Amino acid sequence: MDKAGSPSRLPGRTSGLAVLAALVCAAPVLAVAWIALTRDSGDYLQHLAQTRLPVYLTTSALVALVAGGGAGLIGTGLGWLMARTEFWGRKTLSWILILPLAVPAYVAAYAWLDLSQAGGPLDAATGGWFPTIRGGVGAGLMFALVLYPYVYLLARDTFAGQSADAYNAARTLGAGPLTAFWRTSLPMARPAVAAGLALVAMESLADYGTVSHLGAPTLSIGLIRAWSGAGSLVDAARLSLVLVFIALVVFGLERAQRSRARSVNAAGRHKPAPRLTLRGGSAVAALAACLTPLALGMIIPLGRLVWLAAHTEAATGLAAASLHSLTLAGITALIAAALGLSTAYALRSRTAIATLAARAAGLGYAVPGAVAAVGVIAILSGTQALIDPAWRSLTGEVFPILLTGTGAALVFAYLSRFAAAAISPAETALARVTPSLDGAARTLGATRRRRVWHIHWPLIAAGVTSAGLLVFVEVLKELPATMILRPFNYDTLAIIAHNFASDERLGEAAVPSLLIPLVALLPMIFVARYLSRQDR
Amino acid sequence: MHVNQIGCDMNSVKLLAAAAGLALAACSQPATDIASDQTEAAAEARVVNVYSARHYSSDAAIYAAFTEETGIEVNLVSASGDQLIERVRADGARSPADVIITVDAARLHRAEQAGLFAAADYSDLASGIGANLIDPEGYWVSFAKRSRVIAYSNDRVQPGEITTYADLADPRWEGRICVRESGNAYNQSLLASMVAHLGEDGAQAWAQGIVDNMAREPQGGDRTQINGIAAGECDVAILNHYYYAMMVNSDDPAAQAAAAAVTLFFPSQETTGAHVNVSGAGIAVNAPHPAEARELIAFFLGDYAQRAFAEMTNEIPVRGDVSWDNPTLAAMLPFTEDDLNVSELGDHNETAQRIFDRVGWQ
Repeated sequence: MDKAGSPSRLPGRTSGLAVLAALVCAAPVLAVAWIALTRDSGDYLQHLAQTRLPVYLTTSALVALVAGGGAGLIGTGLGWLMARTEFWGRKTLSWILILPLAVPAYVAAYAWLDLSQAGGPLDAATGGWFPTIRGGVGAGLMFALVLYPYVYLLARDTFAGQSADAYNAARTLGAGPLTAFWRTSLPMARPAVAAGLALVAMESLADYGTVSHLGAPTLSIGLIRAWSGAGSLVDAARLSLVLVFIALVVFGLERAQRSRARSVNAAGRHKPAPRLTLRGGSAVAALAACLTPLALGMIIPLGRLVWLAAHTEAATGLAAASLHSLTLAGITALIAAALGLSTAYALRSRTAIATLAARAAGLGYAVPGAVAAVGVIAILSGTQALIDPAWRSLTGEVFPILLTGTGAALVFAYLSRFAAAAISPAETALARVTPSLDGAARTLGATRRRRVWHIHWPLIAAGVTSAGLLVFVEVLKELPATMILRPFNYDTLAIIAHNFASDERLGEAAVPSLLIPLVALLPMIFVARYLSRQDR
Repeated sequence: MHVNQIGCDMNSVKLLAAAAGLALAACSQPATDIASDQTEAAAEARVVNVYSARHYSSDAAIYAAFTEETGIEVNLVSASGDQLIERVRADGARSPADVIITVDAARLHRAEQAGLFAAADYSDLASGIGANLIDPEGYWVSFAKRSRVIAYSNDRVQPGEITTYADLADPRWEGRICVRESGNAYNQSLLASMVAHLGEDGAQAWAQGIVDNMAREPQGGDRTQINGIAAGECDVAILNHYYYAMMVNSDDPAAQAAAAAVTLFFPSQETTGAHVNVSGAGIAVNAPHPAEARELIAFFLGDYAQRAFAEMTNEIPVRGDVSWDNPTLAAMLPFTEDDLNVSELGDHNETAQRIFDRVGWQ
C-alpha cells in the first residue's frame, strides 16, 4: 500500500496539491494559534478560571452530549430504516429527511423559544406543562434536530452498502432483527456514525447564535465574551485553542473508531442486502419515526415562522440576498467537494504529511466562525503587509486592498471552517473502494484513469456529492464569518434573517429564514434523485 | 498592526492628545496620500463607505434620502461592533472605511482606543445635543439614544412600589426579576454606569442583588422579558425602552397583549436619572472620503434622520428640537436622563463584565 503505484493511489502530483490545499485550509486556525501564543495579554484568563470557566466547560459537555446523543439516535435509526427497509413513503422521505440540515439551529431556537416560553402558544395551550426550550439541554436538542442529517446521510449510505452476510448469519443463528442489527449492522456502520457524530459535536461547540439565545453558556460564549468584554482578541484566541484541543480529541476518537472497524468495513456492493418490507403497524411506526424529527426540527419551527410572516411585512432585498447565498455556497461547495475527494485520495497514500494535512484541515471545524474569520483577516493583512515594501518601491504607494472584504476571503474562511465536512464523507465513500476491487481491475488490464472513472467514481459519487451538499448548506447558514468578511452591500439570507431575529423581530426574520431551506431544496432534489439512481 | 508599520501607534497618540495637533499631522500623512489617490479615482461618483453595527429599517431609508440629497452613494457593511473594529484594525492604512457606526457607547470607546477614529470637531453639527452624548476628545458623536428601563406587572406590582435601579436589588423582589444574559452590551453598559456612580464594590453588590432576585436564568432578548411578566413568570424586568414600543406598535395581537400587561417607567428620576446608551459614529482615521463621511454624520444629525429614528425604530433623537410623529414614544417622554458622559460606559465596560462573571450573572 505504501509503495508508489499501489493499487488505489493517484499520481503523486494530485496528492501533493491536495495536501497543499488542506494545509491552506488549516492556515486560519494556525494564524489564530499564532496570535494566542505570541501576543501578550493581561490577567483575564486567570479571572475567567476563577469565575465562569467551569460553567463554560460543563455546559459545553452537556450541549455536545445531548446534541450527539440525539443526533446519533435519530440519524442511525433513520439511516437504517431508509437503507434496509421498505414501507409506504420511504423513497420520498429518504431525501426529505436531509432537509432539517438546511434549517439554521439558531432559527429553530428562535422559533422554539418563542413557542415554548412563558406565555407562548405551547405554554398557554398546555397550561404551563410544556417545558421552555432553553439552557444546555434545549440547545443540545436544537442541534440534534437540525444536525442529525450528518449522521443520517453517512449511516444510510453505509447501511445501504453493507453486505447482508453478517446480518443473515446472525438471523440464522436465532437472533431477532433488532439483535442482529445491534450485533452486526451497527458495528459495521460505526465509523460512519462516528464521523457524523464528530461533525455534530464540533458544530454544536462552535455555535454561538443558538446557545446565546437559549442561555446555554458554552465555551464559545466565553470566547466571544472575552473578545467583546476585555476587548482582547488574544484571550479569545487562547480560549479557541481549548476548542481546537477538544476537536483534536473528538476527531482522534473518530479515527480510532475507524481503524478498529476497518476489518469489517469492507463493503462489496455485489451482494446487496434485501430490504425488510414493513406492513401494517410496523409501517406506521416507521413512518412516525421519520416524521417526528422532521416535525420537531423543521415543520413546527418553520411553521411558526410562516405564521409570523403572515402577520408582518416582508423584508426587502431578498432576491439579491438569495443570489448571493447561492453563489457563495455553490462556489465553496464545488471547491470543498474537489478538495475533500483529492484529500481522501491523498490519505490513501498513508503518508504522514497527507494524514497531517487532512487532520489539520479539519481543525477549522472546531473554532467559531468569528475566530476563523479573524484568522483569515490576520493572514490576508499579513500577506498584504509583506507585499507592501516591494509594492511601494515599485509604485510608491501602499499595496491596494485586494483580499479582505472580497468574496475570495469569504470562500477561504468557509473552506477553513467546513473542509472537514467534505473530507470525512469523501474518505468514508472512498473506503468502499477496496484494494481487492482495484487489484481485480488492474489484473484485468484497466488503466488508472479507467479504474477511477469506471470503478471508483460510481462507488464514491454519492458520498462525494453528499459532501459537497453538506458544505453547500453549511455556507448557506453561516453567519459570523460572513458578517465580518463580506464585501460592501452584500447581504445573504442568513444575515438578513439573523439581523431581524437578533432583535426578536421574528416576523420579519421569517421569510429569509424560510428561503434558506427553500434555496437549499433545489440542489438537494437534484442530489436526491442522483442518489436514488445510484441506489437502484 | 499596520498602524504600527506606518510608524503611528494611535493609542499613544491619544495619550498625547495635548500635543494632538502635531502628532496627528505627522500620523495622518501616509493615510492622506492613499486617501487623496482614492478620492481622485472616485472623483466622478462620490461615495462613502459605512461600517455599521446598526441593521434597522430606518437606516436604509436614511441612506436612500442621503444619496438623493447629496448624490453620494453609500456602500454598507454591517456586522457586530467588535467585528467591525477588528476588520478596520487589520486593514490598517488601506481600510476603505469612512464612517464607523456602533449601537453601544462602549464599542465607540473601544474603536477610539484602537485608534480607528480621526479627531474631529463636531461642535457645529452637534449644537443642541447634550454634552454627555459627545466624546470629550472629539472622536465620535451620538445620533440616537436608547434608555434601559424597568417594566412591571400591572396586576402584581403597585405603581410607585419600585422607582430606582437600586430597588431591584432589594430582597423584596426575590424570585421576581426577568433580565437577559450579561453578554448583552446593554446590560454591560447599565452596570458600567453603576460602576461610575457607586464604585466597583457598590456595582457588584447591586449585580449580586439582581442575580439573587432573578425569577429564572437569563434567556432570550428584551421582548422575552416582557413576555415573562405577561405570563406571570416574573413581576419586573429590565429592558430597552424601544422593545416595549415595538410591541405596542406591533401587528401581532400576542405582542400587543403582552405589552398591555406591563407598565414601563424611566427609573431613578430623583437620583441619577435613567441610564442612556447611544448609537454613534466617528470618521475613520484612514477614511478615503473624509468629506463625504462628515456629510453623512451631519445627515444623521439632521432633521430627516432624527425624525426617522423616532418614527421607525422608536429611538430617542439626540436633538430635542426636531418634530416627529410617534404617539407611543411621545407618551413615554420626557424623562430625566443620567448625565454621565456615555464615554465612561466604555471606561468601565471591562470592570462591569468581570463583575457579571463574579456574581454568576449568566
